[in-house]
Amino acid sequence: MKDVKNKASILSAQNVFKSYKISGQKDILAVEDLSLDINEGEFICIVGASGCGKSTLLNMFAGFISPTSGRLLLHGEPIVGIEPRCGMVFQSYALLPWKTVRGNVEFGLKMKGVSPKVRRERAEYFIDLVNLGAFADRYPSELSGGMRQRVTLARIFASDPEVLLMDEPFAALDAMTRQVLQEELLRIHEDQRKTTVFITHNIDEALVLADRIIVLSSRPGRVKAIVKNTLARPRHMTVQLSKEFTELKSEIWSFVEDEVRRHGSVTPEYP
Amino acid sequence: MATLEERPILTEATAVVPENPDGKDEPRARKVSRHKTFRSWKATPAVTLLIGLSSVATFLGVWAMVTELGWVKPVFLPSPMSVLDQGIRLVETGDLWVSVIASSTRVFTGFGLAVLFAVPLGILIGVWWPAKAIMDPFISLLRPLPSITWIPLSILWLGIGEAQKIAIVFMGSWVYILLYTYESTKRVDPILIRAARNLSANDFAVMREVVLPGALSGIISGLKVTLAISWSCVITAEMVAANNGLGALIWQAKDWGNMPLVLMGMVCISLTVLVADWIMVRIERLLLPWERNLRE
Repeated sequence: MKDVKNKASILSAQNVFKSYKISGQKDILAVEDLSLDINEGEFICIVGASGCGKSTLLNMFAGFISPTSGRLLLHGEPIVGIEPRCGMVFQSYALLPWKTVRGNVEFGLKMKGVSPKVRRERAEYFIDLVNLGAFADRYPSELSGGMRQRVTLARIFASDPEVLLMDEPFAALDAMTRQVLQEELLRIHEDQRKTTVFITHNIDEALVLADRIIVLSSRPGRVKAIVKNTLARPRHMTVQLSKEFTELKSEIWSFVEDEVRRHGSVTPEYP
Repeated sequence: MATLEERPILTEATAVVPENPDGKDEPRARKVSRHKTFRSWKATPAVTLLIGLSSVATFLGVWAMVTELGWVKPVFLPSPMSVLDQGIRLVETGDLWVSVIASSTRVFTGFGLAVLFAVPLGILIGVWWPAKAIMDPFISLLRPLPSITWIPLSILWLGIGEAQKIAIVFMGSWVYILLYTYESTKRVDPILIRAARNLSANDFAVMREVVLPGALSGIISGLKVTLAISWSCVITAEMVAANNGLGALIWQAKDWGNMPLVLMGMVCISLTVLVADWIMVRIERLLLPWERNLRE
């Protein structure tokens, strides 16, 4: 592990603390002394009970919020302010309703000043990659939830950030759509090899997608365990039927279980 | 799925008449059955139109009856026929168009200037708090003032020409446009701004690509409401000091004791505002194509 870390740690958190002030109450400590190194091209899944500070961590990586203390680094340099090199995929899609699928996918490129011709071609490529070719001129409100999340994937891949941050992107989708999108994400990742930090509370999802799985303790969030996912790549959804998968799953569950119980109850999967 | 299965049960429950402590079961039961008769009617556009037309026909019929049979004196309430007569004469002499065009020009100039002034200002106070702090006292003081209170000052400053009428429309509209714009700007989903910044958008791009289109729907709804207010402003201004326009038409007809013409003038105002509103709806559809499936 050590040599890999020294080689290339693209994204890291060093002794990060984050507390929230709530008027009239004691400060809530969301993240406590969290340190983490993420390597170039790695797919990381962060799992943990609800309210363990997973999203807080991701929002800090994106620069949406700043830590109370500690440092967040991209290429060894501190992240200050919103960081476009860390592209975010939101659970609530955050698509611009007044832009078509094409307009949304082109948005990041347009903002970077890419010429209309080039951005059209690139958008076309990624829209096809997520199988939305027939819907390029539709507005988000005309699409299903699964299709909208595909648009956000195409949008983020087209804008080509160095790191992908995904905040439970598939949590609001039904089980079947979710499985299809996992498959697509897997396929795109095998192709693009982009550093990804993916938050989920679904262990199956984490095992299908990740190279390493970080288990966070319940609030305040700390790194409880890091599990290396030994399942071979390229992976397919059928990997879920293997014995190795089941063994890894029970290993991760053993870490997660007390945290979920300690937290009181398992909160509903679908918000 | 569960909710779908429960729905018929819920309907049953609402139809069941609960135990009535007063023992007056009779009216309750009738109410429920009448409710059921109406439920079997479908509110299709044709049915709605039919009901609307029959209610208007009934109203006109009663009006015609009480005036033609002499139950109400013509000086007190003219008959619908005499109003229609005046309408035909207005069209034939061309006075109708002169009045409609005179009033419309004033409204659209005053309203247009108010839009040009208040929409950018509303966005500014929505995104930049010092501007809001500067404007707030003026908004609070000007908003409760009916535009008619500006008539003396506007005549003093601008005389009784077109500029004065336009000023009254402007003063009556801009505060509302400003407030609607401000509210709509504030309501733009912050997560969209966050997402846009995450995709490398700078301040200017966030403004152009997110805040403006995000606020547009609310701004247009506000403009539709304000346009009706602008119309009432112009009519008021024309009644006080003007020699043409729909407001002047009504006021002069009153002076001549021509009540049918007064009523016809009122009808013309209604129809003109309806047309203006219809044009606004068309513009709205043109400007907000992404809401097309929400409308259908």
